[in-house]
Amino acid sequence: MAQNPVEHESTLSDELLRQLIAVGQVDVLVGLPTLNNAATIVDVVRSVSVSFTRDFPRLRTVLINSDGGSTDGTPDLIRSASFVEGDMVQTSHALRTLHRVLAPYHGLPGKHTALRTVLAAAELTQAKALVVVDASGQGTTADRITELIAPVARGDIEFLAPRYRRHPRDGVLITQFVRPLVRAVYSIGLDEPLGSEFACTGRFASHCLEQDIWSHESARFAIDLWLRTEAAAQRLSVGQIWRPVGTPGAGRATLREVIHQVVLSLVESLRAHESFWLKANAITELRTWGVDPGNAPEPATWDYDALAEQARHDISQIKPLLEGVLEPGLFVRVMDATTNSGPHLDDELWVRTVYSFAAAVRHGRAAVEHLADMFAPLYMSRAAAFMADTEGEPLPAVQTRLDSLCDTFQRLKPTLVAAWADNV
Amino acid sequence: MIQEIADALVQSWKNFAEAFVLFVPRLVAATIIFGGGFLVALLVRRVTQRALAWVNFDRLSLRSGASEMLRTADMPPAEVLIAKILFWIVWLGFIVSAVDTLQFGPFQGLVQEFFRLVPRFLVAMLVLSMGFLVGNFLWRATLLASVNAGLPGARLLSSALRVLVIAIGVVMALEQLGLATSVILTAFAITFGALMLGLAIAFGLGGQAAAKILLEEQFRAKKKRDTDAAPHL
Repeated sequence: MAQNPVEHESTLSDELLRQLIAVGQVDVLVGLPTLNNAATIVDVVRSVSVSFTRDFPRLRTVLINSDGGSTDGTPDLIRSASFVEGDMVQTSHALRTLHRVLAPYHGLPGKHTALRTVLAAAELTQAKALVVVDASGQGTTADRITELIAPVARGDIEFLAPRYRRHPRDGVLITQFVRPLVRAVYSIGLDEPLGSEFACTGRFASHCLEQDIWSHESARFAIDLWLRTEAAAQRLSVGQIWRPVGTPGAGRATLREVIHQVVLSLVESLRAHESFWLKANAITELRTWGVDPGNAPEPATWDYDALAEQARHDISQIKPLLEGVLEPGLFVRVMDATTNSGPHLDDELWVRTVYSFAAAVRHGRAAVEHLADMFAPLYMSRAAAFMADTEGEPLPAVQTRLDSLCDTFQRLKPTLVAAWADNV
Repeated sequence: MIQEIADALVQSWKNFAEAFVLFVPRLVAATIIFGGGFLVALLVRRVTQRALAWVNFDRLSLRSGASEMLRTADMPPAEVLIAKILFWIVWLGFIVSAVDTLQFGPFQGLVQEFFRLVPRFLVAMLVLSMGFLVGNFLWRATLLASVNAGLPGARLLSSALRVLVIAIGVVMALEQLGLATSVILTAFAITFGALMLGLAIAFGLGGQAAAKILLEEQFRAKKKRDTDAAPHL
């Protein structure tokens, strides 16, 4: 167990401690990690303040901004964003003081440090509900903030994660890899394991602070997934809430970088929670709050033929490395399916490949970073194959494919459990 | 005259008998050391092999790429090889000790020489192992980095790096053993220098235009390969 961050001087600065002590105990704490969000931050802050005043007038609330060193004046905009009534048309008057605390965070740069500061603030203020809001502000309105706060503040649920109404051909990395894997392994029907927003109880926030994830190198990008899987592993009551699909900013990271980070995140969670997931069986379907947006937006178009070509080339290059990771029979089938223009990686072969990589991590067949890089072209091959196979297919048929993939991950989970537990 | 011959024979017989009386116990002792050493060496081999299996040494060997190289060279698995090497070191120690017990003039000081060599041999083995370990790690890292960056000849580049690192390891190990040090070092320096100089001349003078085209194409290919992750999330 790590040291309690509230007692750790590097987590909360003296100035932040002073501000939080002035705030005292709160019922709801909204955390707002920021990094150069000047374009959207004012609207987000106003939405939070309207939500506080209009929907939770009797609760003690505070907004904590944890800024990672923005250079576009984000903290100044938050400081100057007025909480005055003029901004809150048709809202009731606040019965309590609206607190706003700005905290440039200390320590290693990254979202995990910002979140750690927010969690430590929640513990210090003994917040009953903690909500972390995406500062990029896509679809953030006062109603949406309220929707996120209310179920946890009422005590209906202990952890609330966003859920998006996606087009079945959208977000292939999520639908082909992360969602079915997390669903099968953790036995939880979580749609979006990688979302950045969430709401949880103050008790869970304190629990998370005591874990040793914060010191891990991969925590920088693994923290979102870890929080969700930790909630599942702690057997919290987990729910989902409909949110509008965000449009990730183009050019932020390359596909290979994202795959690398996602694989490391999954490895971090699998290692941390093995005592839970090795025994988890029946899938728990989650209750969903909020209003279903109904129609899913059309997915972005991308050149999957080019991706398939890249994958073919890369897999043929790293063939000797894959041979050391995959079992001999599986290796031959994967090479047949990925380097020839014949049959694609089908569901079963894809799932067995994913599980083989997980077992390879467990048994140290190569460094995790290397395994993540080796996995990238295999995912690219699968993603391109999925897009090619579903081109022009009716949406229900594509959705059936996604459900079938989830079933295959679930059906073959015993092979992962056996390989993971195997000491040889 | 006859008496003198008889005296010589008697003396000779006495000398032989004395030498024989002195030699037989040494021979018996040497035989015991030889046989006992064999049994001890066998025991060491078995214990080592089991201990290495117990600590999952095969995983380390697999991860470092040593298993693959040993398989390619038609050699036994790493834990068996290490156990065999230890068997021979221990048994050779006993053999040398047995020979020393016989007190043959030409073999005097053999034990001291042997025990002077053993640490150097072990260090050489360690250096060689490190060479394989580092060479394979760099091979894997370079291959993945080159493939990710879309470099042409990724496998050639990474394999060349592996061969170079292992070659450096071999040279260092041989130097540690003190085997023809100057010849090995000179040969290595000449080969390595000639190779690098040849590449520099070929790429820098002979292939300037080709290098320019290669780098430009590389830059374009890199941009094309850097697929945006947004549609996948």
